[in-house]
Amino acid sequence: MVNGALYLVAIGLGAAFLLGILPDRRELSYKITLTSLSLMALIAASYVWSFAQNGVLPEQIYTAGSRPPFAINLRVGMAEAVLSLLISLSGLFSALYMRDSLLKQGRRAMAVLLVFVMALCGIVFTRDMFNLFVFSELSVISTGGLVLLSHDSRALGAGFKYLMVSQLLSILLLIGIIFAYHATGTLNIDGMAEARLNTLVGGSLSFFLMFVVIVAELKPFPANGWGLDIYESAHPAFSALFSAASGAAMLFAADKLLLIGGTQWLGIATAIGLFTFIGSNIFALVQENDRRLLGYSSVAQLGLILAVIGQRDLLGDHYHYIAGGILLAHAVSKAGFFWLSGFIEERNLGAWASLRGHSPLIFAFVTFIALLTGLPPFPGFYAKWDLLMMLASEGRFWVLGLILLGALIEAAYLFRWFGYIIKRDIEDEVKPSLLSHPFKVDVVFSAVIAAWSLAYIWGAISQHGNLLHSIPLLFALGFVLIDTLPVKIKNSIAIAGMILWFIYQYPSYDALQVIFSSIILLGGALILLAGYHEKGSRPGFYPAAMLMFAGLIMLIVAQGSFDFFAAWETLTVGSYFLILRGKKSEPHALSYIVFSLGGAFLILAGFAIAAQGTVNFQLKALADVASPYAAWVFLLLAIGFMTKTAAVGVHIWLPGAHAEAETDVSPMVSGILLKAGLFGLFVLLMNMGKQQLYGVELSHVLLWIGAISALLGNLMAIFQEDAKRLLAYSSIGQMGYAVFGMAMMNQLGWLMALMFVINHFIYKSLLFLSIGGVAKRTGTREMYRMGGLITLMPLSFIAVLIGIIAVSGVPPLSGFGGRWIFYNAIMTTEYRLPMVLIFLSGPIAFLYLFRLIHTIFLGQLKDEFRQIREAPFWILLPQMVFVAALLIFAVVPGLVLRRVDAYLAPFFASQSGGLNWEGLTISSDFGYWSPVSIMIIIAAIFASLFAWLVFVNRKAQKVKQFNIAFSAERPYRPETTHFAWNFFAPYRKALGFLTQPFVTRFWESLTNFLHGGAEFSRRFYTGNGQTYAIHLLGFVVAIYLLWVGMTGGRL
Amino acid sequence: MTRRFFVVLLLLGLIAIFANLLFNYAMDSELNQTARYYAKHTATDIGAANIVTAIIVTYRGLDTLGEVTVLFLTASIIGLVLARSKNKAQADAQPTQRSNQHKTRPFPSGELLTTGSDLLVPLILLLGAYVFINGHLTPGGGFQGGAILASAALLLLLTNPSRHFSHQLISKVESTSGLIFIVLGILGIFFAGGFLDNRLLPTGTLGSIFSAGIIPVIYSFIGLKVGAEFTSMMINLAETEKKQEKNK
Amino acid sequence: MSWVALTTGFILILIGLYGALTNRNILRIIVSFSIANTGVNLIIVAVGYMASRTAPILDKTVAPTEALERIIDPLPQALVLTAIVIGVGVTALMLTYAFKLYEVKGTLDISSYKELKW
Repeated sequence: MVNGALYLVAIGLGAAFLLGILPDRRELSYKITLTSLSLMALIAASYVWSFAQNGVLPEQIYTAGSRPPFAINLRVGMAEAVLSLLISLSGLFSALYMRDSLLKQGRRAMAVLLVFVMALCGIVFTRDMFNLFVFSELSVISTGGLVLLSHDSRALGAGFKYLMVSQLLSILLLIGIIFAYHATGTLNIDGMAEARLNTLVGGSLSFFLMFVVIVAELKPFPANGWGLDIYESAHPAFSALFSAASGAAMLFAADKLLLIGGTQWLGIATAIGLFTFIGSNIFALVQENDRRLLGYSSVAQLGLILAVIGQRDLLGDHYHYIAGGILLAHAVSKAGFFWLSGFIEERNLGAWASLRGHSPLIFAFVTFIALLTGLPPFPGFYAKWDLLMMLASEGRFWVLGLILLGALIEAAYLFRWFGYIIKRDIEDEVKPSLLSHPFKVDVVFSAVIAAWSLAYIWGAISQHGNLLHSIPLLFALGFVLIDTLPVKIKNSIAIAGMILWFIYQYPSYDALQVIFSSIILLGGALILLAGYHEKGSRPGFYPAAMLMFAGLIMLIVAQGSFDFFAAWETLTVGSYFLILRGKKSEPHALSYIVFSLGGAFLILAGFAIAAQGTVNFQLKALADVASPYAAWVFLLLAIGFMTKTAAVGVHIWLPGAHAEAETDVSPMVSGILLKAGLFGLFVLLMNMGKQQLYGVELSHVLLWIGAISALLGNLMAIFQEDAKRLLAYSSIGQMGYAVFGMAMMNQLGWLMALMFVINHFIYKSLLFLSIGGVAKRTGTREMYRMGGLITLMPLSFIAVLIGIIAVSGVPPLSGFGGRWIFYNAIMTTEYRLPMVLIFLSGPIAFLYLFRLIHTIFLGQLKDEFRQIREAPFWILLPQMVFVAALLIFAVVPGLVLRRVDAYLAPFFASQSGGLNWEGLTISSDFGYWSPVSIMIIIAAIFASLFAWLVFVNRKAQKVKQFNIAFSAERPYRPETTHFAWNFFAPYRKALGFLTQPFVTRFWESLTNFLHGGAEFSRRFYTGNGQTYAIHLLGFVVAIYLLWVGMTGGRL
Repeated sequence: MTRRFFVVLLLLGLIAIFANLLFNYAMDSELNQTARYYAKHTATDIGAANIVTAIIVTYRGLDTLGEVTVLFLTASIIGLVLARSKNKAQADAQPTQRSNQHKTRPFPSGELLTTGSDLLVPLILLLGAYVFINGHLTPGGGFQGGAILASAALLLLLTNPSRHFSHQLISKVESTSGLIFIVLGILGIFFAGGFLDNRLLPTGTLGSIFSAGIIPVIYSFIGLKVGAEFTSMMINLAETEKKQEKNK
Repeated sequence: MSWVALTTGFILILIGLYGALTNRNILRIIVSFSIANTGVNLIIVAVGYMASRTAPILDKTVAPTEALERIIDPLPQALVLTAIVIGVGVTALMLTYAFKLYEVKGTLDISSYKELKW
């Protein structure tokens, strides 16, 4: 539409003036306000549409019949159109939300709102510097006015502080503008850019003044106390508008200004932006007030986008895609959060727990968190990916690292908040008035819809394909819609879906993918069978579980690094939600997500450095990464993958997370999820091979890590009293084995690792399910409370027994075969000391495995458990299937392994040592293994011993439990005759020093340091408005000194 | 003490910046490109004798629109904020006191002041009107004229602090003038060169009162608007005092 | 001539800022900002000045044809008009805030409005 921008301004202002003329009828005025805002949004939308469809050039709008620089001109391009759409839509929705306040205050307040929205659009459209000043003064004054709409009397103080600081800023800006005019002879931004202001006498200083003021409007850290008070005390709808719309307009103003300044100022912009991003996020860590936290987060995001603007020279064509993606993600999510905050009475974070009764609101909250932290499939994800790729290609590693650090901190406090929502006690219910304000709920959901639409749009225009087109992801999201159905239906759909997908995809898999996908899909479906025992509808379980499986299955088939990483984050998020469902899992889920995201960011950094600017970097291309970078890439990727396998050093999240998870979630996360890390390591090692960093052979380091993990994991498992924690630590140990196997970099090692993947899945799931069943029936997970359950839960006993035999590596089950391959593998290498550690951990493992049988099932039956029944049928069923699988696999391991061996052979063609698969016997250079013979022999021994036992005991008398005399006494309580607690005390004395929580203490001290620093430093914001003005002046002088120091005051 | 010290320190930094600007400042000897254009073309294109007016109303009319809106905003916000106090206070006040509002005053003004203001107010209003009607010919314009109008209102207020002004009238004048300004601007898009182009009416001869297109019209409305807004701000602030007195 | 004006302007700004940042009474802060605004306006006008030229009004003293050599830069004068008006608007707004703050808390000391912090 020609001159649309002018009409937009005219409608906004005209409506404001009109409100003064009409009679003071509130409803009418409100309708006029809404109509004008809608018209403004419509104009903006039509611009966006025409630019998207036709790709026309930006429209230049002249005023007063004269051309610039003699008259003011406006310009509307794609960026301006999108921003004005954002501003007017947020204005419209906030007006809807603020209906009650606006009606109470009357038409004057509505007029102020209209002018505010119009002024922000003006800032976006104008190309004249002084005009920019006028519009920004308009937005300042209207902010000062709208702040007064708050119910909070402290808002007055906040508004006044804001005005004080704005006065200071406008003084400096005017000085800058007039001297810039004097230097260049024009007030037009493009004119000043052309005249190259920086080269003119006095020009660069005037630019400095203008630039520093516009940047200061963005509330850079630490000169931003004045803005934070507004976020905290104003009406939430206004804070939403303030965060989304003013931030966007001011950022665009900064973008325009940097046109004038030239490239030397971009660095300063980036520095200020990054400092703000990290500083504000750190301060946000210690906030208890929800709105203030959102304020800090807003400031941080604005800093990030400023840093992106500062990288404009690097980003080229992608600049708008990236900056726009992050900006829109920030705007929509912040608006959504602020609107949600209107439903909560109290202002501390824990009060949000009252959202729990309203699952659509929880879904909205999750959407906003995912949007803000840049999880797939939202725009922030695509934007950050492209940004980091380009940063790495230019070698700007510091910027990359700082951005990731800030993002991690942000994710930490956001997810911690989510944990509060799910887990804290509900103090008071969300006001029932919630339902009487359908507007407000609709407004929140409009933000949700906007978020998902943005996700789709950003995917559609990305270079990497649209994530929302992937079927597994859509399948998982579909479960959100059917979340209210009963468990039986959802479970059946889930199982059917997974099996069908496997069948559908099977022909396209190579051997490696077959193994992993059958574990994920078929194994997952099997574990899901246990879900049938739940009653009701289990809200939130299915979307989370399906999300995790979707991520896993997308991971396996990913060819490019982008798809790989998107899948990795998807499965992390899905598993986080799953783990969070456990009763006492709040802190553990938090540490899980923080470690996982930290690992994910390391992987991202690794991919970015490896890609060196290639779009659509393929995983196979990892092999071709150039020499100085290759080792770093290897290191980053390896550490990232190992956070998933819980290698020692980054393992502290696992015990809590797996132990506290629900009965059928633990097998999923322990059996299946950990394998994702192994898969990643496979891909890494397959493509990159051996790497050296500063002369250190990295695969050697990996070996050591594996060995130590195996040893320590098993050692710590011994001393556990909680059965599931024991199994969790055991997983750490087992993963250590697998990592060791892969790090050996020979064919047998890899074969062992792969066989391990299958084995571990089967027996860990088996054990977790059976322990889970026992825990369900007995009501406790502590083993010393149990005992003698063999008579009451025989099937569980058999399951655990088979499982233990498999884990320990005792013949005839598959664990033995695995060990055999393993020892063969080690024999061909020269790693002696790690070998010893691994050998040592074997028998150590046996100790805790023994406890599982002895303490739970053998021994004396306690009084409180005399009436319990066997575990539920649906939990038993998968266990029996696993038992059968173990038995079959023990006899014919070649079924799968032969093919895997053949798959691996090409990678190690140059090395000797391999297996020969002749019929039912497998032989290697060191010996042979015949599973069938072993099974027959063992079965024969077992059968004969069993027969003899039956024969000898056929005349045995059954006696009651306490028909015994024990140390010349007759016991009456079972506890006194069952030695179960602190079973391995002597070992603890001998080896306990190895289990000191060094690692836990390290990580804890790190977080305490962050918190303490933040707690101490935030006292900087004393609350006194004058102090804030002084801060601001200090900021100006500091940047001036910085600039003079960097460039000598000249260019 | 430390606060003062820091402030002084920071101001020293500012002094450095200002000194830098000052020393690099060299007065122009020729008009720069923008000023040159205005000097050459104002008479012929716009037809206004006062070039500054031409810039304000036409060339940079968008800025003026913003400026006018600033006053509108400020007046609205002051009305919004103080109206709340007034409503609260009126709710507390006794009914009898309210009716006495117009009649009793603590200190009646002297005869000199009353007569003087009766004499001067019409003259001031006349001067104000003259200033904004002739904005395109002589120094002055809508804003200046409006301020003069408001000073008349101020004189009235000072003389008789409890005089009642009609908020309705003021706000109607304000809003109508603003609307007309915008409408004229939009008409400029269709019937003249662009938004706020003044050539809706003929430019006439330089120096006569009916020249420069719609500039006198716009400026007159701006004058009324500004006068109304300043007046409304002042009476809102003044009425708070009345309220305070009532509460004592 | 314009040196004097510029220097005066800068000094006014510094005085105003000093007053705004050190006085505790809100009304004094507002007045100080007023002084600083005046200083800024002075600077804006001073920047446009050119030696031995006259006002940009085309009447008996300056004919349209000789405007180019006789008048000073008209643009800063237009800008300063806007700046003055905006300054007045903000000052009025701050005064209203001062009134409301006094009404709520009964004090005009800025350091007592510290409920929102950290």
